[in-house]
Amino acid sequence: MTGDDRPRVLAVDDEARVVQAFDIWLGDGFETITATGGHEALEQITEDVDVVLLDRHMPDISGDEVLEQIREQGYDCRVAMVTAVAPEFDIVDMPFDHYISKPIDESELQEIVTRLVEISGYDQRLNDLYRVVQKIATLEDEMTDSRLTHHEEYAALIDKRDRLREQTHELIGEMERDQLDDVFEMIGSEQ
Amino acid sequence: MGGSAPELDSLVRDTDFFRSLVENGSDAIVSIDTNSTILYANQAVERVFGYEPDELVGEQLTMIMPDRFHADHFESVEEYLDTGERQLDWNNIRLPAVHKNGHEVDLSITFEEHSYEGKKIFSGIMRDISERVEKQRELERQNERLAEFASLVSHDLRDPLQAAKATTAVAKAGDEDALAELDEIHDRMEALIEDVLSLAKQGQAVGETESISLASVSKRAWSTAGVDTATLDLEESLPTVSADPERLEALLGNLFRNAVEHGSEGVTVDVGLLDSADGFYVADDGAGFDDADTAELFTYGYTTNESGTGFGLSIVAEIAEAHGWEVAATDSAAGGARFEVRT
Repeated sequence: MTGDDRPRVLAVDDEARVVQAFDIWLGDGFETITATGGHEALEQITEDVDVVLLDRHMPDISGDEVLEQIREQGYDCRVAMVTAVAPEFDIVDMPFDHYISKPIDESELQEIVTRLVEISGYDQRLNDLYRVVQKIATLEDEMTDSRLTHHEEYAALIDKRDRLREQTHELIGEMERDQLDDVFEMIGSEQ
Repeated sequence: MGGSAPELDSLVRDTDFFRSLVENGSDAIVSIDTNSTILYANQAVERVFGYEPDELVGEQLTMIMPDRFHADHFESVEEYLDTGERQLDWNNIRLPAVHKNGHEVDLSITFEEHSYEGKKIFSGIMRDISERVEKQRELERQNERLAEFASLVSHDLRDPLQAAKATTAVAKAGDEDALAELDEIHDRMEALIEDVLSLAKQGQAVGETESISLASVSKRAWSTAGVDTATLDLEESLPTVSADPERLEALLGNLFRNAVEHGSEGVTVDVGLLDSADGFYVADDGAGFDDADTAELFTYGYTTNESGTGFGLSIVAEIAEAHGWEVAATDSAAGGARFEVRT
């Protein structure tokens, strides 16, 4: 830590005004650092970063590439893609935690970042479950039912979600009452 | 049995009434025996299949059936005669048939089974739905196009909209300079909407074509698309082309704008005739395609220019296609971009 115990957020977007606004919107509750390109983002990332907000379409290196490098270098922070790019099936194998479609505003940004910081404290399997549930929701939002049902990757995601739900079932049983609602909401469980 | 009002009773008892109904109905009716030999065909077969009824009677039903269905047909008839099990739905089933002149017709067919003089007869009542099927395909194509546009518009507007929201937030937080940037962002969104509208329009068929001078259309297009620092250089004795004047101007305008936006300040744009084929080219001495993907150039929304909408060259491709032309991108002799339109 840097002596600052606020969660640290790295906001990355080639539009300088966008990362500036993210900084303003996240406010004093977070320590926000910014980068306006992929290379700069990779220079800024450290163990202390809790959440990365990552644009996909950037001129120097793409957000997808930055994400890959972040994971290759072993950083386990939460990553939210913040983008105008329509999600395709390629997102299934991308190691991000949340997919945000632009435009996003203050309250939505705060809510998502707060949630991402919170789940990073939970068990790895809950984080995996969150990731899978997010991807399913993202694909369902964007695509027609017929495209989804004809796609193996989507079916595989559903399987994975169901398996993880089973595995985390007990885990959730041991959690404090006040954490529960939060968790259920996050992972879309039907319990 | 069909029902009828009492006053019609005597009429419907009259076999001539039924004969006339069957003979003159607009649906084609063909009856076969258990060997698939045609026993009867009504007048409407001529309109649907091109054969006179007499040409069909005595022939095998397979005469009006595409080859690929022959084996299946005999098998299903046999199966049905053996077991009484129907191999397909007998009501309003959609099947293709073969017209006398060889093309296939889409039919909606209802099968009936009845006996006549102790023999089992099968009849097919067939309605030509080719037009409906073609309309449906056209509609599907249009829907796909529409879905493509909708997705493009929604996603391409997302970036500038986010930039506008962000810039407003920064301005509200006290940085007044940010306000001035909003105009530019709004212009970007407007350009995008205009381009998409224009693109949607270009997808339609070409209107009246006329013989127009390539030189004068080029000059007209340059007057709106060109800039003072750039030069338009027309090859001497450019011919006339057969085109929709308004849309040829839009095609050239988009190519010129592309050259001006991607070229250096004093860019020169040439318009000339192709040596190897009918058609013309637009070439510039700018930066060329460099890192751009030439295969992707004509795709909706593709751009290497941050303020570009990425629709300009899609519009070019749409207009060319609507005229039945081909457009290709290559490097110009001067190291810039060269677009060739084969007419």
